[in-house]
Amino acid sequence: MPDAVRQTDDADGWVRKVLPTDLTTVRETEREVLGRLRELGYDDDQLFAVRLALEEALVNAMRHGNRLDPDLSVHVAYLATPERVEIRVADEGLGFDPGGVPDPTVDENLERPCGRGIMLMRCYMDEVAFSASGNEVAMVKYR
Amino acid sequence: MEIQTRREGQCRVVCISGSADINASAALREALLGAVEGGDTRIVCDMAETDFICSDALGVLITAYLKARGRGGFLHLASPRDHLAEILETTRLDRLFSIYPDVHAALSAG
Repeated sequence: MPDAVRQTDDADGWVRKVLPTDLTTVRETEREVLGRLRELGYDDDQLFAVRLALEEALVNAMRHGNRLDPDLSVHVAYLATPERVEIRVADEGLGFDPGGVPDPTVDENLERPCGRGIMLMRCYMDEVAFSASGNEVAMVKYR
Repeated sequence: MEIQTRREGQCRVVCISGSADINASAALREALLGAVEGGDTRIVCDMAETDFICSDALGVLITAYLKARGRGGFLHLASPRDHLAEILETTRLDRLFSIYPDVHAALSAG
């Protein structure tokens, strides 16, 4: 059972982390990424956008991907530069079809309490792409 | 996140301070749904000090709104900061919720 965050800082600048499926690790991961971006001079609007997208990606991976199974992990990688931040979040679940998620902004879905995570990621990041299986999302925000 | 509530006439004002993130949404759910189920169906959420909200917490607001409305009441939002106002607009939840510039205006609207 993965019970602790494991991290490697690679020579290529990417930081790779393996998180347990534990929603309490989300905030600390956000704090780490945003701290790095703050050092690089990203402004409050950019920090807010990245935090929101990262929160939604991590929660999706743990809740919907890994179905909160504590035996599964979430793999996070990020590259922060003065020009852009790239973030990849992958789960160990069965995957899903992101195109199959109903549009939460149409009138008939406005009262649905869930289903807004992916659209928020798409709105607040400059690039969002899912792997074919839906297990991994790659996001980019340009400064 | 910190939640403080107070009564204003027939309304319950719920002040949400800090980040309404995934780790705070359970407390938000308990505060809002607890209020509705306890008979407070006229609710104003004061969001002047709310600096972040995730989709899960938005879902809590929607659930509480629907339950309050179903009992003949309401759940209004007051004074969201720019980032929150933008999320409400982006998600089109500004079409669902009544949003007011301050608590007084929300209470007056009833």
